[in-house]
Amino acid sequence: MALDRITGFAGFLPVDAVVVDGRPGLWWMEMPDVSLTEPFFQQTVERAKTGNNRRELFTEFDVLLQLEKVLDSVPPAGFIFHSSRCGSTLLANACKAIADSIVLSEANAVDKLIARFITDATDKVKEVVYSVFLRGVVHALAQRRTGKEQHLFIKFACCSFSQIERIRRIWPSVPWVFLYRDPIETIVSNISDVPPWLIDNDRRVLASITGVSPEQVAQMRLEELCARTIGSFYSLAHRLPNGLANGPGLLLNYNQLSVPVISRVLRFFGVSPSAEELETIARRSRIYSKEVSGTHEFVADAGVKQKLANDLVREVTETWASEPYRLLEQKRLEQSWM
Amino acid sequence: MDVTPGKHVVATDFDGGEGILVDLNTKKYYQLNETAMVVWKGLEQGKTTSEIAAEITSNYEVALDKATLSVKRIVENFQSYKLVSAR
Repeated sequence: MALDRITGFAGFLPVDAVVVDGRPGLWWMEMPDVSLTEPFFQQTVERAKTGNNRRELFTEFDVLLQLEKVLDSVPPAGFIFHSSRCGSTLLANACKAIADSIVLSEANAVDKLIARFITDATDKVKEVVYSVFLRGVVHALAQRRTGKEQHLFIKFACCSFSQIERIRRIWPSVPWVFLYRDPIETIVSNISDVPPWLIDNDRRVLASITGVSPEQVAQMRLEELCARTIGSFYSLAHRLPNGLANGPGLLLNYNQLSVPVISRVLRFFGVSPSAEELETIARRSRIYSKEVSGTHEFVADAGVKQKLANDLVREVTETWASEPYRLLEQKRLEQSWM
Repeated sequence: MDVTPGKHVVATDFDGGEGILVDLNTKKYYQLNETAMVVWKGLEQGKTTSEIAAEITSNYEVALDKATLSVKRIVENFQSYKLVSAR
């Protein structure tokens, strides 16, 4: 596609990474007027589809390289990684309260490209190519559609944390936070409402994260698979250099989340929230973060989840997640500023 | 041997000095090391191979004859993959 035709892409966002007629690429939707207000990017895409005759099209990935040269875009200010069901959506929603911000929350095009690091980046060239695509897809998603956008925050899907080192190679100076929660509470939450990542038909991603074969993943009980996966996330977070002294990384436990702590995270991302924005964050933090209508009140459930844990959950937690969690907590407590 | 980048080729930087070329006709991707990227950018700016070799000697500790040879080999590679055309 010639560069002069590329300029017509302004206002189109890559809403998914797909394969069409055997060709891997991106699905785009014209959404120049759609604000990303929902807790998750794909919820916004669904809203945009409803009742509107928006233009959609497919391109191969190489379009991204050309778009990087012509689209005005906001560079990332902060990354949110997490171990699933641990308050990351609350933090992403808080970022949405900042004026002139763009928050990409688990956008398919981003996280599916990251998964390709695991499934397709079989050599150095492919790894670099997928890195360039990832940078390009973020550039396209963060294009200035109103002209006023100033801050870009990206919340990745939990499995993308396994590729943090490749992501940081693309954006080495962008501050990031890793949010996590008590493993029993995390597993109980995931088992009572099973998320797509835990039952993905392509078992290669979880196999890579947990260090077993795809066949073993397919046969594993969900409790064990969840425990091994989050245990792996804790271990990775423990291994990474972070803290203010060692690089722009921060560990944050679910049980720390409060408006003052969120405010400090935003400042860590280089943003100073105003009193009005903090009030909005406080108001939103009282609402269940993942619900689109924003009407369900949030109820603290740590105690309930602990009580709901059965023997199997406790056994797999002890085997696969307790010790990595303990070590990670020890490391977090060494961070003196939070 | 002065050449110009093909209009069907897009280049992008990655990881400091390295880069990627994509041939939009064949959908093939090429990873360039730092030197090859300097050569490609020079060609994009309309420089001759001699000018690019001189630029390399001024920025890196390398003799002109070696730089000229490197540039020549890199441009020959670009030509063999039909990424450039004669001016």
